[in-house]
Amino acid sequence: MTTLSTKAHSEPAVYVYEAPVRLWHWINAAAITVLAITGYFIGSPLPSLSGEASDYYLMGYIRFAHFAAGYVLAFGLLGRAYWAIVGNSHAREIFLHNILKPSYWGGLWHELKWYLFLTKEPRKYSGHNPLAIFMMHWMYVWGTVFMIFTGFAMYGEGTGEGSWAHSLFTVWLIPLFGQSQDVHTWHHLVMWWIIIFVIIHVYVAIREDIMSRQSIVSSMISGWRTFKDEGKIDND
Amino acid sequence: MPETFYDVMRRQGITRRSFLKFCSLTAAAMGLSPIYAGKIAHAMENKPRIPVLWLHGLECTCCSESFIRSAHPLAKDVILSMISLDYDDTIMAAAGHEAEAIVDETIAKHKGKFILACEGNPGLEEENTGGMSCIIAGKPYTEQLRHAANNAMAIISWGSCASWGCVQAAAPNPTGATPIHKVPGIGNAPIIKVPGCPPIAEVMTAVITYMLTFERLPEMDRQGRPKMFYSQRIHDKCYRRPHFDAGQFVEKWDDEAARKGYCLYKMGCKGPTTYNACSTIRWNGGLSFPIQAGHPCIGCSEDGFWDKGSFYDRLTTINDFGIEANADEVGMGAAAVVGGAVAAHAAISALKRTQNKGDHES
Amino acid sequence: MSIIQTPNGYTLDDSGTRHVVDPVTRIEGHMRAEVNINSDNIITNAVSSGTIWRGLEVILKGRDPRDAWAFVQRICGVCTGTHALTSVRSVEDALGINIPENANSIRNIMQLSLQIHDHLVHFYHLHALDWVNPVNALKADPKATSALQQQASPHHPKSSPGYFRDVQNRLKKFVESGQLGPFKNGYWTNPAYLLPPEADLMAVTHYLEALDFQKEIMKTRTIFGGKDTHPNWTVGGVPCAINMDSDMSAGAPLNMATLNFVHQIIKDTKTFVDNVYIPDILAIGQFYKGWLYGGGLSGQNVLAYGDIPDRANDYSAANLMMPRGAILNGKLDEIHEVDHRDPEQIQEFVPHSWYKYPDGVKGLHPWDGITDPDFDVSTAKGTRQNIEQLDESASYSWIKAPRWRGHAMEVGPLARYIVGYAQGHEYWTEQINRTLKTLDVPVNALFSTLGRTAARALEAQWAADMQLYFFDKLMTNIKNGDSTTHSGEMWDPADWPAEAKGVGFTEAPRGALAHWIRIKDTKIDNYQCVVPTTWNGSPRDEAGNIGAFEASMMNTKVEVPHEPVEILRNIHSFDPCLACSTH
Ligand code: HEM
Ligand code: HEM
Ligand code: NFV
Ligand code: SF4
Ligand code: SF4
Ligand code: F3S
Ligand SMILES: [Mg+2]
Repeated sequence: MTTLSTKAHSEPAVYVYEAPVRLWHWINAAAITVLAITGYFIGSPLPSLSGEASDYYLMGYIRFAHFAAGYVLAFGLLGRAYWAIVGNSHAREIFLHNILKPSYWGGLWHELKWYLFLTKEPRKYSGHNPLAIFMMHWMYVWGTVFMIFTGFAMYGEGTGEGSWAHSLFTVWLIPLFGQSQDVHTWHHLVMWWIIIFVIIHVYVAIREDIMSRQSIVSSMISGWRTFKDEGKIDND
Repeated sequence: MPETFYDVMRRQGITRRSFLKFCSLTAAAMGLSPIYAGKIAHAMENKPRIPVLWLHGLECTCCSESFIRSAHPLAKDVILSMISLDYDDTIMAAAGHEAEAIVDETIAKHKGKFILACEGNPGLEEENTGGMSCIIAGKPYTEQLRHAANNAMAIISWGSCASWGCVQAAAPNPTGATPIHKVPGIGNAPIIKVPGCPPIAEVMTAVITYMLTFERLPEMDRQGRPKMFYSQRIHDKCYRRPHFDAGQFVEKWDDEAARKGYCLYKMGCKGPTTYNACSTIRWNGGLSFPIQAGHPCIGCSEDGFWDKGSFYDRLTTINDFGIEANADEVGMGAAAVVGGAVAAHAAISALKRTQNKGDHES
Repeated sequence: MSIIQTPNGYTLDDSGTRHVVDPVTRIEGHMRAEVNINSDNIITNAVSSGTIWRGLEVILKGRDPRDAWAFVQRICGVCTGTHALTSVRSVEDALGINIPENANSIRNIMQLSLQIHDHLVHFYHLHALDWVNPVNALKADPKATSALQQQASPHHPKSSPGYFRDVQNRLKKFVESGQLGPFKNGYWTNPAYLLPPEADLMAVTHYLEALDFQKEIMKTRTIFGGKDTHPNWTVGGVPCAINMDSDMSAGAPLNMATLNFVHQIIKDTKTFVDNVYIPDILAIGQFYKGWLYGGGLSGQNVLAYGDIPDRANDYSAANLMMPRGAILNGKLDEIHEVDHRDPEQIQEFVPHSWYKYPDGVKGLHPWDGITDPDFDVSTAKGTRQNIEQLDESASYSWIKAPRWRGHAMEVGPLARYIVGYAQGHEYWTEQINRTLKTLDVPVNALFSTLGRTAARALEAQWAADMQLYFFDKLMTNIKNGDSTTHSGEMWDPADWPAEAKGVGFTEAPRGALAHWIRIKDTKIDNYQCVVPTTWNGSPRDEAGNIGAFEASMMNTKVEVPHEPVEILRNIHSFDPCLACSTH
């Protein structure tokens, strides 16, 4: 114990997550939470209300919240993508990473072994580890892009011919899927894809925080990655 | 000069005034502003009747049945005065080779100038049906269809059969039923789809009237449907929509909500994903439409609506995972598996950690 | 060349010249007829083939039984709804569901609307051109036509000379335009047309009037089912809820306003049938009553399942307003009870059809039925995709051959009326006697093409009255405080047994219709339809019995062999529906 805490004092720290990334992360997390809950109730509405239609707007509010959060999600991702260009190198990781570099796959493999309890030590990364990058890119980024495209395609069905959502998404996306019902189904399925990402992501974030050699959760709050030992950093 | 539509109406004892009224009704039915009534009147006054070959493939003839229920214009007036329905084996007087001869005669006389109206579709399956699930004059219907299509000015695909394949194309599609636009060798004539099972009568007659009046195809969407009738979903103009927005739903047949006309979403209504004019034009002279009579929309104008699971389920049934389930069942199942794996992983991690700690401490 | 004696009493001789009619037009769907005609212009051999198949029975496997009605409704858009009704009944039978009284009344009104609509459209728009010559109508004197109209039907308001002159002018311009449209290439000079020009003009006028009016008849179904054609149905009741007087009853599908509308439609329908359809049948019948060909099997074997249950859920013969029974060999005094569940009674055979059974010759009861396509014309003349002449000794049709206790049976309005007549159905017997008397023909005249055509009109008249009966019944029940339209029983598949089987039946416009369903683990395990035109249009069976279509063509004299108007008359009198027959 004493050794550990002594070491903690001498941790080097790296500034990894710039403020816009952190802000985006938590807003994005909130938006997805709202989208998943409202989305679920769009698919399977709450028990029926009685009385006059004019007295209520429950489904309307649920859908409104969904669309509002959808806009937040979409513009959030756009903003985040902008920051990937102007921000630090870590800001690019979830969008672009060199999959041709053998060290990426080596790192991924090592990380997998770490999760399969086949190795005792995880490597040290100042940014995301290769497995995290893999999951965030393929499950989160593409999942979200899919939800935004299909979401706005359905949104455009309601706003109708001539609306930007209709012209930009609805006109080509609905025929691509076959018909509207299929778009709903895929939109609904990919929600679960994203929920699964979140389950894994949150678990892993907390676990790594405890078990890995670097700070995790606090990094996404403070921006600083601190390390629990003085071994060399494995990425770049 | 052959007599025009207007001549015919005049001969019939119809006054110019009621003729003009007819024209404005037609304009209204097509969702056009009243100024178009004049244009329609002009067209009707000056044109000979355009030849139409109405071919029947694998089908139920319901599209024809719907057609004759048109209130404005009346089917009678379309047949007698607007078009020259040279071939339609459901109603034509001639039979056998006298009937078949008409297809060739029309093509010879009006090559590239007639409309081909297709009801139903051909079956292309070879192994069990020999491509002969629909035989006309001893030959596969596909032959008659291709022959006419390659010489037509334009093709109308009536109903969901011709447009998408419809019920006979539902899995496992034993006859290889194929919608018109996907039939190999169908030629290059423009195809206008008028889906629905069947389509609304007044939509059918309006599509014809539009083509005759403006001498062009109506503006179509990417899937080849006339925008004037298929650019909105049932849900967008459904009179039960306020109940949808309020969160007021029919939960079971004949419950209090059903008796008050609440939204049928939870009964499986496909109005939110179905493009058709039922909630605007309505059926049988604007009298009602499925939802108004208390039944959810089953999505009958949409491609493949037969294969999306029960009509009474809100969520589509997905068959692609070997088991039958909807998106929530698939997703929750997967999430449960992942959740379980995460919990197990956490437990092992905790165990390892105490072991490791022990290592450190020892 | 051969002469065959069929078990059901026909001598088939294929030595004369072979004539092919393909397509047979003015029917639903696709059909081919081939006949041999001898030197006396008599048909000595007749072959009828169903030339369309879609495979609905194959498609239904594995689906939700509550959805089946929508699939089978698309078997046919002409008899739209009767398959749907048959289907929901089969599921209700399998699961033991009872429907509310109101649902029964509403379903009956819908089914009766179909009977009337289908019969009317068949007569005027499919069948009439076999008897009526529109070209000849141009020669008519409108004044004389008006007189004929007023004599035939004094209550019909559209009867002035000016009215007929307008129609005639319209017709004239139409003909003069040179664009004859659907009337092109008709046999307008054939001596088989017997009407005087005035009757032709009256009939052509009613062709147009009926075309305008028919769309009204089905509006009852638009109120109850949301659209027509292909209205909506529901296992366990009807989808349209009733709400007569709460604060939101205007939102209910059925309220005072919509029911009033239904009532008006029913009354108008009755008026039209009484004032136009029935008088036309009698008027045209007068001129053709010497033409008594085409009896088919009606004088021998007829079959009716019965329909229109008075009280809900009781499908016993005593409770059905349309009678049930089978008659064999013309013995009207011996009516056999029909049992859909008995594996020995109804069976389908395929030795002459384009299907295969594991055991090719045996018949199968529909609960164990198999639909496995196997197109084969290897022994026919021509090629596989260009058939010149069918070989009736091999497979030659997409229609299966259903048999009742091994017998080929005729079904349809005439079969029903014969069973009803034999049972002493009061309303029908009175109608038949009145008609025979008016036309001054003997009872035997019933067993003919004309008899079939007349039975259809009489049935439409009866159906219009029955609609009023069920409308009153519906209103009385609502008045007594019962607004239920759906039972709710067993809607949830979780409550279903692991296995169940059921049968539903109706009297479709063209005759006896039944669907047999097997349900396993909440899905359809087997679904088999035996349809009126399957009965009437069936090819030969293993024993060689010919079906009703073929029988009706036999021994008919043809005026002009290459103008098959007589063949069309006989075939049309059944109102064939080929999409139905093969499904
Ligand atoms: C992670 C992101 C998202 C999740 C988890 C999500 C989830 C859902 C779910 C489960 C549904 C119900 C689908 C059905 O069963 O029919 C739905 C519907 C919908 N979503 Fe999303 N969604 C997301 C993003 C978006 C975005 C970005 C938009 C864009 C505005 C959007 C717009 C819609 C629309 C228009 C509907 C259909 C609403 C209706 O039919 O009334 N969604 N969403
Ligand atoms: C809807 C829920 C969430 C989503 C979609 C989500 C998504 C993401 C994404 C895309 C990143 C990568 C950030 C970047 O490099 O741009 C990230 C990082 C991170 N997230 Fe989340 N997150 C969610 C919820 C949470 C929660 C609840 C926590 C905390 C318990 C959390 C903790 C973290 C941490 C610590 C990182 C940095 C990981 C690292 O350094 O490898 N996230 N998250
Ligand atoms: N045959 C037949 Fe139908 C009838 N009537 C069905 O059951 O016609 Ni389309
Ligand atoms: S589209 Fe539907 S209604 Fe039209 S012919 Fe096909 S099955 Fe019948
Ligand atoms: S009944 Fe159907 S179309 Fe109408 S509002 Fe409800 S879901 Fe939409
Ligand atoms: S089922 Fe079809 S008829 Fe209209 S309301 Fe739906 S598209
Ligand atoms: Mg069958």
